Amino acid sequence: MTEMAILFDSSRCTGCRGCQVACKCWNDLPSEPTAENPYDSVNWDDKFTHPADLNSCTRLIMTFNDFESESSQKRVGWAFSRRACQHCTNAGCVNICPAGALRKDEDTGMVTYDQDKCIGCQNCSAACPFDVPRYEDRGGKTVINKCSGCVDRVAHGMMPACVTTCQPGALQFGERDAMIELAHERLAFLQDHGYQDACVYGESEMDGLHVIQVLKHGMDAHGAVKDPQIPAAAFLSGIMKPVTAVGAGATVLGLAAMFGLAHGYKRDTLVYNDGTGDTISLESGQVTKQGNGPDERTVVESMTENLPEKVKDKLPASLAQGKKGGDDDE
Amino acid sequence: MSKHAEFEVSEHEQADNEAFLRGRTVGGERYIKRHSRQARWTHGITVICCIWLMISGAFVFVPPLAQLVGPGVVFVFRMSHRVIGVLFIAVPLISAIAAPAGVKHIWHNNVCKWTEDDKKWMLLFLPYLFMAKWIHMPDQDEQKSGQRVADGALWVSGFIMAFTGLFLLLNSTVLPMGTLAHSWLLFFHDLFFCIMLIFALAHIFLGAGIFQPYRGMWKVMWKDGLISESDALYHWGHWARDVLKTDNGVVRKKKDEE
Repeated sequence: MTEMAILFDSSRCTGCRGCQVACKCWNDLPSEPTAENPYDSVNWDDKFTHPADLNSCTRLIMTFNDFESESSQKRVGWAFSRRACQHCTNAGCVNICPAGALRKDEDTGMVTYDQDKCIGCQNCSAACPFDVPRYEDRGGKTVINKCSGCVDRVAHGMMPACVTTCQPGALQFGERDAMIELAHERLAFLQDHGYQDACVYGESEMDGLHVIQVLKHGMDAHGAVKDPQIPAAAFLSGIMKPVTAVGAGATVLGLAAMFGLAHGYKRDTLVYNDGTGDTISLESGQVTKQGNGPDERTVVESMTENLPEKVKDKLPASLAQGKKGGDDDE
Repeated sequence: MSKHAEFEVSEHEQADNEAFLRGRTVGGERYIKRHSRQARWTHGITVICCIWLMISGAFVFVPPLAQLVGPGVVFVFRMSHRVIGVLFIAVPLISAIAAPAGVKHIWHNNVCKWTEDDKKWMLLFLPYLFMAKWIHMPDQDEQKSGQRVADGALWVSGFIMAFTGLFLLLNSTVLPMGTLAHSWLLFFHDLFFCIMLIFALAHIFLGAGIFQPYRGMWKVMWKDGLISESDALYHWGHWARDVLKTDNGVVRKKKDEE
């Protein structure tokens, strides 16, 4: 396998959103009206990011993050960012998927999926630190929809759809190591030109992402997730599977042992004479308890009094004495 | 019951006991009514729902199972999990509303103060499971101390499973609560599934009478709700004597064929 990666250089991005359109075109995804921009409305909200977030038919969005610029000429600065699957090496979604619908592509390392295998449990959304997986309704059945890394195109020697359409060359695709090298070259250039907050994102996060980003204005300005981790609850849910298997297995073994050890168990039939308050064994005719008072045996006596004599003989004298019966509180 | 326990009784008492033994089967053997028809139906439906929920849930919880049967079958299981889940919540709820006195009775039995016999019973229970032939268990009231712990665990885990399951269903349909809520709901659903599974296995082992000292116990919940005098004296001695003394809830009938 050759690890591949998409390189997004935010310092070259013009925010044209051609990549969003290319993604929809290649993947045959509709452009549906959203609450922020219904077809029949001219009322824009104050955000340029559109749609506001990923959704069931949008796998990639460009986000427009504005900030107060230090420049006297450009008071408002823009940090363009790419929001889509980051294709983690340590992909929580792949680990938690019960249906095997999500998988790492063996040729590229991208996190791809098979919608036909998806059972719609949405566990993957609980395991994603980037809040990426979305779901589409397929005739009553919910299935995952997210960036697939265009592994179908890559398998045929093409680049991901978003990369092919990027006019300013902000998106590139190639071997991951090469993309990281390019990112660091660009980072050095930016820092030389005064962008001290600039950074490379994706090199080590989640054991290495397959989307490497050069963030010109730093992580905060671009809204990048700092030190992403698989959510604790999803991690714990993963642990519950082996814990449950061990717990259930041990219980069944224990019960089987109890069943085996109780083989041949018999006890006398008991009846109660409410006239005298005696509990009587039908087999022996003996009174086994008088009244209904508390049992006066100690725990040790209860455990040892009925042991076979040969076992009893081996016990210390203090343990071998069994106390008999109960009280007559009548 | 102790093999060695023998009591000295007066001649008068002995004669009374002998007369009692001679005439005790007139009109049939004595049985005690332990569970009402409503309690048995509620228990039965809840058990069937619970088993189906465990089976259908396993196809999402255990990846090899889901991958074995494919997404179509898993989809059917998931949808049935939702429908049966609603039934699992609704049936006990309706039953509780219909019989508040029964709920109070169950609650009282589960939270009442532990006697010395209760504490001793609990301490002896684990060794008893492995040495049932030899260990003498102290008499118990209507609810054994161990039952209080086990039933309590089943009640609590059942309640949390129902609560988390309901909100997982709402989260994926009409009330989206976000991925963080989803992940924690899922974790608690999984955690209490584990607890419920372990206690349910033990409950079945004892309640169905697979464990030899509990043989025949299944009839109490799955047949007519009656327990024989002898079994009642062995399992819930204090309770059985109280009931037999008052004769309230005692039924005479021909001895059950085992």
